[in-house]
Amino acid sequence: MASLDASRQAAFAKFVLPEVEVLYRVALSMTAQPADAEDLVQDTLLRAYRAIDRFDGAHPRAWLLTILRNAEVNRHRRRRPDLLDDPDVHLEHDTGGGPFDMVPPTPEELVVGREFDEVVDAAFGALPVKHRQVVRLIDIDGLTYAEAAVLLGVPEGTVMSRLHRARKRIRDRLAAAGLAPKQGGGGR
Amino acid sequence: MMGRRLRQMRDMRECLHVGPQLQSYLDGECDPATVRRVAAHLEYCRKCGLELAAYREIKRALATHEQPADDAVARLRAFGEHLAGAGPEAEL
Ligand SMILES: [Zn+2]
Repeated sequence: MASLDASRQAAFAKFVLPEVEVLYRVALSMTAQPADAEDLVQDTLLRAYRAIDRFDGAHPRAWLLTILRNAEVNRHRRRRPDLLDDPDVHLEHDTGGGPFDMVPPTPEELVVGREFDEVVDAAFGALPVKHRQVVRLIDIDGLTYAEAAVLLGVPEGTVMSRLHRARKRIRDRLAAAGLAPKQGGGGR
Repeated sequence: MMGRRLRQMRDMRECLHVGPQLQSYLDGECDPATVRRVAAHLEYCRKCGLELAAYREIKRALATHEQPADDAVARLRAFGEHLAGAGPEAEL
């Protein structure tokens, strides 16, 4: 009994502790409130501790993301089932407009600088929530497509299509703001 | 020797193939054969090169959204170290 606890604790220290910060960042991307994120990671750590003697040591991050996902789904089941809505519908309809309606001339090159970053921020903030989440998981939290897929419980292809369409949307906003060439324009 | 039109058509076909791979290429998510094919195309295609540069800059701009350092990470790490040291029984 004591030796089971000892090996459990050693495995936990080896596989789980190094991932705490990533788990918290990911949890922030999955929840609305920092307090919820902290609860979610605590829950994840407890579950991981209880399950670690069944963990084979391969891909600890993916294993932990699966646990975090299950913990998050449980939390939501107690409230509302909005994890199940399909966000990919919304992106098609919004044809831009809004604050970037003025049409500046199309540049031949990228115009990188503070304005570029501001347009990226604004376009990122305007994405549908599930698309913003995927962009955040990949580009800010540093997950791979496979890790994000495990976390979100969707196929890797879904992660990829959401991510690519979201970035394409940001890219189109940059073009509309005159900070990037129109796609297909500019010749070669 | 390949005619100019023929070469242009071949290059355009290659753009159609490479274009949709650019984001995965940037993310390091392409298989080695695709990486070679994209890299070879980028050697001469300015249009795809600009497209890749646009996505690279978007990714860079987004990455500056680094989470602010938070006490929460320290608390969670302490919680984890506690589990690793004593198990949950001491806690609960
Ligand atoms: Zn090309």
